[in-house]
This record gives sequence, structure tokens and C-alpha cells, in this order.
Amino acid sequence: MTTTRTARLAVNRLRERLPVDPAAVDRFVARHGSPIVEGERATFLFRGEADEVRVRHRVVGLPDPLEMRRLPGTDLWAATTDLPHGSRVEYQLETRRGDHYERFNDPLNPRIAHSPLGSSSVCAAVGYEVPHWAVPDPEARPGELVDDVLRSKALRREQPVRLYLPARYNTALRYPLLIVHDGTDYLDYASMKTVLDNLIHRLDVAPLVAAFVPPRDRLKEYPNHAPHARFVARELLPTLSGRLPLLDTPQGRCLMGSSFGGIASLSTAVRYPGVFGSLLLQSASLVFTDIGTDHGGGPAFDPVVKFVNRYRAKPTAPVERLFMSCGIYEPLITPNRSMVPVFRSTGMTVKYVEARDGHNWEDWRDRLRDGLSWIFPGPQKFVYE
Amino acid sequence: MTTAGTALRSLRVDGPVATINAGWEEREDLVDELDQVLGGNTRHLRLYHRTLDVLDKDPDFAGAALAFRDRHDALLSLYRLRLHHALEGVYTVQRRLGGAAAAAARREAGGEAGPPAYGALDDAIEAARHLDRWYSRQLKALYSRFDEDSPVDASGVIGWHRGEITALLGECAALAVTGGNVGTLLRALRLFAIRVPDELPVVAWSAGAMAMTERVVLFHDFAPDGASEAEVFDRGLGRVRGVVALPHARRRLRLDDPDRCAVMARRFTDQHCVLLDDGTAIEVRADGGLPSGARILGIDGAVHELRRAAS
Repeated sequence: MTTTRTARLAVNRLRERLPVDPAAVDRFVARHGSPIVEGERATFLFRGEADEVRVRHRVVGLPDPLEMRRLPGTDLWAATTDLPHGSRVEYQLETRRGDHYERFNDPLNPRIAHSPLGSSSVCAAVGYEVPHWAVPDPEARPGELVDDVLRSKALRREQPVRLYLPARYNTALRYPLLIVHDGTDYLDYASMKTVLDNLIHRLDVAPLVAAFVPPRDRLKEYPNHAPHARFVARELLPTLSGRLPLLDTPQGRCLMGSSFGGIASLSTAVRYPGVFGSLLLQSASLVFTDIGTDHGGGPAFDPVVKFVNRYRAKPTAPVERLFMSCGIYEPLITPNRSMVPVFRSTGMTVKYVEARDGHNWEDWRDRLRDGLSWIFPGPQKFVYE
Repeated sequence: MTTAGTALRSLRVDGPVATINAGWEEREDLVDELDQVLGGNTRHLRLYHRTLDVLDKDPDFAGAALAFRDRHDALLSLYRLRLHHALEGVYTVQRRLGGAAAAAARREAGGEAGPPAYGALDDAIEAARHLDRWYSRQLKALYSRFDEDSPVDASGVIGWHRGEITALLGECAALAVTGGNVGTLLRALRLFAIRVPDELPVVAWSAGAMAMTERVVLFHDFAPDGASEAEVFDRGLGRVRGVVALPHARRRLRLDDPDRCAVMARRFTDQHCVLLDDGTAIEVRADGGLPSGARILGIDGAVHELRRAAS
């Protein structure tokens, strides 16, 4: 439940009435749900018997875990934290009963976000709304998804690719190409087909062809992996260019990805400079060290850090235009901010956007209009009616 | 509030009305509402569908048209790149000099007020004008090359459509040109060599109004990725002279930013930047002049009404 009243928090008003009977707690929970968002404060609730209850999240700047306190004489637990206007936070609750720990989504909160790793509860602050262009619009004529498989010599396997062809696809025209790393996840968790249908329908984004490419071994293939880059630049791109009516210039080609997918996009472009005109990087794992090798990211990040350190030592401009977005509540915010001037120093045109969100698919969904409309602007400027 | 219907009725035309709504693209045949507004006695020229028919039946022309479009897109891309940087320079100089208000004060004082400006703003705007001229010259050269490579006179199917369109237009007492995609509209007008006789009354709105001018300028200050710079796109039919048509100005222009508006008005200072807001209309006189009351952007960045009719 969301209110804008900022005087006394609802949970504190309840505290002042203690002791209260279970029926009063029932009414409180039924009335407010969880979390209770009041102004720029959020109160998380849990009902039940436990030795400890915590809110688990990955918001940089807030204590994690966030300990909940039991209201004396009740089975209601609560914790209140800051939640600035426009924020969106994913979280779970954790209980300890003796030696037994359990993590689960907030049973009092119906709002859930999904990802390849499972689901989380969502706490949305005052001012956050799911973008209207991210929900299905019956007026928007849908594009088509076509499954394809490429035999890749570079990857030594059959590589599935799902192609998006825009509404009114016409082979007499030419389309820009967007190659999407973690393609299946972008479709499943960032509503990317809906987003493309809507943004193209609203003239915000040019009609485009997108190739959604899933990885097989993401941690191996995405951090600066030569076979992956060769597959994208020397196999996927020429094959699609031969089969589809695509623009035949670098400006008509964009690589995109989030997290490790951002590194896959950047490292592919660096290996094949001038092939792609733009990059769209969301919360890219741009982890680096200024001295030593202690990056704190674990072994999976070793090749990432090696690549980013080398890039920082000798930055290049593999594309003309670079869109970057990052959530300010995620640990990657610092490296992303640090890389903006490095990228700009190469002469690339960089657009950088931050959001009060974290490292998750709905954040990446919510930034798609900013990125896609900048890289492939739609024909709004031509339409007057 | 003036609508296409009331404007047409005010002309008291006697006979069918030809319509051009190619800007609606694949919705070109959805004309029930248009017919209703125009009184029902219409002859739809269907230029968009005729264009598709040409592309379908004349593969040589289709190939040349696609190649032209690629070249035009590449030219536009370079023009936008240069224009962006040129206008950044204009705005930077303008900020240094204190904006449109300070410029107006300086003009009032005969150039003596404020810090010395050395004509920096005028010269910066001239650089943008130079780009507009460069783009227009290059586009003209592209058209010449296209016409040489693919003479439309050699295309039977284009000739057939042109003949039919000329006959249809000849039996009409007025022409209505709707809004929509002004790029599509201009390409169709050019392909079928549409010439509007001086004596034929025309009611045109939105993109249609832009197509009636000599020079079509695209603009949109409220795109999702922020304001984009106004850009010359192509020549129009030139039925209306001395005007840059700015339809839906309130919705599309940051009229509350006098500095930005001043730059636009000064960049196109050889023409009137005429605001065509929703529900308003201007009747251009037979001599091509604007009526009094027409709303235009002034070089001070404010919106002014013409007190006296302009020719």
C-alpha cells in the first residue's frame, strides 16, 4: 500500500496502541499490506513465529540484512527504511528458527518480479510506475518472433537465435539490426517483445529487426571470449544480412546486453571495431582494479577485470555511439560511473542514464525506451497529424 | 475551431474534392471519416498505394528508389551530426551572451549594451544556415543522379498512374491534403509529379500543410530522448511561399524557451515560421501573402501575431 502522508508512520501509531489483540493486528495488516510506503519511508512487515526476521536485498547504502523487530506482545515484525521518490527495490524475507534459515518472497506483498534465478518481492516507492509502454497495448500491432538455428563454427555448436520482425515487415525496406545478449531472458523477464511492439507503434523507435541470442555457458562466453565475438561479428551478422533486408552500415547495427552481457557486447565491439555503430549497455559488469588484482567479484570476474583493465589502459572507440544505464542501488554503479569519462575520452558519443533501481530485469526493461529511442530513433519527427 | 470541413465549406467549391492522404501510409484507404468531413464528394488519389504498385511492378525503379533512399539516409545522418554540433555552438554562444532577452536589449541599444559580442551569435547561426544550404545542395544532386539513373519517363507503370492522377485532379474543384508522414507524402508527390494548378483551391493540414510550402522543416522538441534540432528535409510543392509551416506547434515546440525559439526564427529568418496550432487555420491569399492574425515566431523567441497581412 502506498500513501503520501509523512507525519507518523502507521507502524508507530500501532506501537503506541500496544498492547493490542491479534484481531487488531489482523486489521492492521489487512489494511496496509506490506510494505507500507509512506512518503520516502517504507515499512516491511512479517507475521509469524521466528527467532529472527530480516529483509534481504542488495541495495548499496542500506544495511543488508535489514533486521526486523517484533512488536511486543504480537507476532508482527517490522523494519522501516528510507525509500526515495521513484525508487524500486527487489527483496526477500529471511527467517531464523533455531539453526534453520529460510528465504522467501514477502507473503503480504503480491508484487513479484521474475528472473532466471527465481523471483523476488518488489517494493515500489511513491513516484515509481511501470512504464505504460512496457505493458501490452491492444492498439500496438505486434511484431513476429521467428525461431532460427545457426551452425556456428566459432562456437562449435548449433546456436539458436530468435528473430523479431516488426509489424508491417516489408522486404522492400531496410531495417536496423539489434543483437541482444541473454536474448531469451530479455524476452521472458524484460518484456522486450511487448516493449518493441509498443515503442515502434508509438513511433519512439524505428522499426527494427532484433536477434535474441541466448548463451550456453554465460560465464565463459560473455567475458571477452574470442569464439563468441567471432560468432557474433563473422557468422551471425553476415548470415542475417544475407537473409534479411538490413541496413548495410555500422550505424544500422547495435549490440546490447546487461551485466555480463554488457561485457560481451563491449568486448565483441572492441575485437571488431567499426562493424557496429552503437552499443547499449545496461548495468554492464565493468569491474576493474586500479592496482593489484583484488576486485572482490570472485573468480567469475577475473576475465572481466582483465579485459576492463586492459581497455582502461588503452581505451578505443569501437563504435560511434554508446548508451549506458545503471541502477544506483547496485554495486556496479561505481564502476559504471567511472567508465563514462573513459568512454567519452575516446570520442564516442555517450549517453548515460541512472535509475533508483538495482541489478534486475525490470530495471533494464524500464530503461529500454531511453536507450532504444536514442540509438534507433523512430519517425516521430516525420509524422504530423 | 476550424476543421478541414469548415475550411472547405468556406471556399464554397462546386464539385468533387481530390484527396491526397499518402501520409497515412497503409491506412490510406481508411477514408470514412475523411469523406464525412469533406462532404462525401471525394476523389481519393491513393498515392501511397500507387507508390507500392510502382515498386511492385517496376523492379528497376524499385531498386533505384531503394538505393536513393539509402543515400538520402546517409546524407541525413551526416547533416544531423554536423547540425547537432553547429547548434550546440550557437546555444553556447547564446548562453555566454545572456540569451534572447540580452540580445534584444543589445539590439535596442544599437549593439552597445552588455559585453562585446562581435557578431558571434549571428555568425554561429550563419554556420547552421550554411549546413542547411549544404544539405539542400547535396539532396538536389542526389535527385539529379536518381533521375539520370532511373528516368521516370521510361517507366510505363509510372506514366500510367500519372495519367490517371492528372485526369482525376482535372475533374476536381478542390484538393485536400491530410497530415501523416511528411516524408512518405513528399516522396509520393514527387514520384507522381503532382502539380497543383494555381487556380485550384487547396485545404491542407499538418503534414499536408508542410508539403504545400517551399521548404519542409522537421521539428520535434519532445521526443523520448529529448529535444532534437529542427532540420531541413526537402522541398515542398511551393504553393505557399515564404513560410516554414510548424503544425501542432504547442505540442511539438518548446515555445516556453525563448532562446531556442529565437535561434529557430533567426536560422530561417528569410521566411516566416508560422505556427499552425490544433483547431486554427490561416487562409493564404491568392498573392501568397499571410493574413493578419497569423502567429509567427519572432527573432526575439516570442510568438507574435501578424498585425498586417504579409506578402
